[in-house]
Amino acid sequence: MRRLFDHYRQYQELPPEEVARELRERRAEERRRELVFVPELDLARTAWHEPPHPEAVNAATFALRRRMNAYPDPGAREVRELAARRHGLAPAQVAVGHGAAELLQEACAALLAGGRELLVAWPGWGPLPELARRVGGRPVPVPGEGGIGPLAERVGPDTGAVAVCSPNDPTGAALAPADVRALCERVGERVWVLLDEALADFLPPGEDAAGLVAELPNLLVFRTFAKAHAMAGFRIGYVLGPAGMAERLTPSFSVNAPAQAAAAWALELGDPVLARRRAAAARERDRLAATLQGSPLSFPPTAAPFVWLSSDAHAGREIVEHLAARRIKVAPGEQWGDERHVRVTLRDPPATDRLAAALGELR
Amino acid sequence: MARNDPTDTGGLFIGRRPGTARVHYAAEPDEATAARRRVDRGVAAFVLVVETLVCLTLWGPQPTAWLWVGSQVDYHSGSVSFGIAVAFAGMIASLMLTLVLAVRLDGIWKVVRRAAGYDQREGALPRIFMITAIVALLAFGFWFLILEGPAPSLAPR
Repeated sequence: MRRLFDHYRQYQELPPEEVARELRERRAEERRRELVFVPELDLARTAWHEPPHPEAVNAATFALRRRMNAYPDPGAREVRELAARRHGLAPAQVAVGHGAAELLQEACAALLAGGRELLVAWPGWGPLPELARRVGGRPVPVPGEGGIGPLAERVGPDTGAVAVCSPNDPTGAALAPADVRALCERVGERVWVLLDEALADFLPPGEDAAGLVAELPNLLVFRTFAKAHAMAGFRIGYVLGPAGMAERLTPSFSVNAPAQAAAAWALELGDPVLARRRAAAARERDRLAATLQGSPLSFPPTAAPFVWLSSDAHAGREIVEHLAARRIKVAPGEQWGDERHVRVTLRDPPATDRLAAALGELR
Repeated sequence: MARNDPTDTGGLFIGRRPGTARVHYAAEPDEATAARRRVDRGVAAFVLVVETLVCLTLWGPQPTAWLWVGSQVDYHSGSVSFGIAVAFAGMIASLMLTLVLAVRLDGIWKVVRRAAGYDQREGALPRIFMITAIVALLAFGFWFLILEGPAPSLAPR
């Protein structure tokens, strides 16, 4: 009889509390056994790690909910007026395009026809030589850590333009407005100076060279919303230059309406956001510098939200591999032909802590 | 790919649908022989019949029995109220006891059905309760309207 009851008893279901307890125990056991998951930390890109300000997104959304069956403002009038007001220029001196990169390429196409030279301060913004090559130009990297002396000396009869980046990607070094003025004067009015100020929003206010466009006839300054405004996905930027040249660089088909709306918000009301991000980048830079003190690792002064890191004891490739083993991705200096350095983007305090801990293990 | 399917929950309800959880046993039950399963099928059917009969008693025999008890109390005590109170209390008490018994039987039926090889997740008591109530209501209606109600006057005996 007992065996008979036992047979049926095994078909009785467990009460829900018992099932829940068993499931909890099983999950705890699985967690105990599984390897600790370490998420990848990507410090190789220079786009800002946070999303755009919600009000910028709101502005774009508002534009999306309006007449999207109509073409956007072909002249991006509002963005141009706001950009012009910000830099003390006339709206005609501003051209809005699909990011600073497109405008740089347009400038190369306009200035390097016939295979003319583009002198690029090297190391500089990585894709620029390829952009120049694609439109028939002849990029010539000029080593010199962003200084203007070697560039000005290298200018020859075939030189169509000179490109510098400030703050420089990847070194982070910034050119003072006086240096930009000196460069424009030394290369002569025949040669254009393409000043890539994609990261200029990280400079203290008033230290950028955009205002010089009003005085210098051969200066083009390129600005983007992709970095400090965290709007890389919108693909919008602008160039400042003489009115004729700005008109030449204006794309045939304008930037889309949501991107124009977000950019207008950023230019009009985005300054507090920029100040916060500038302060955050500076704070992380200082924290990293403090943790590297006394180690063979160091980086030169930088105004950008990344550092050009090198070690007295290790090659750049060793640093990259050491960090990659800890799932931290950085940009190897070999991209710029430099075997000693790596470019490391700064993010938030947890990222800096993790980076510092990983670098501390580099022996 | 753009995700604009209104039924796409974005992974909010991943896994089984509600109400489809398998039965959790303390240990995997032993494999029963085919003969034993046949026997268990028969036992399960028998338990179901008993359960049905037990439920049916709620709708006729039990109230009738308690009304008879009430009438006896009324007769012996001379108090109609006392008789009604006893009948009412008795009906409630036996209803509770019958439900306890039916729940037990339903549990036994579930277990025996599983032993017979069925994936039996729910019991049959709610359905039996409802069906027996409908049957009792129809039977009462037939008795009330046809046998003892207006029908005999329409077609006098």
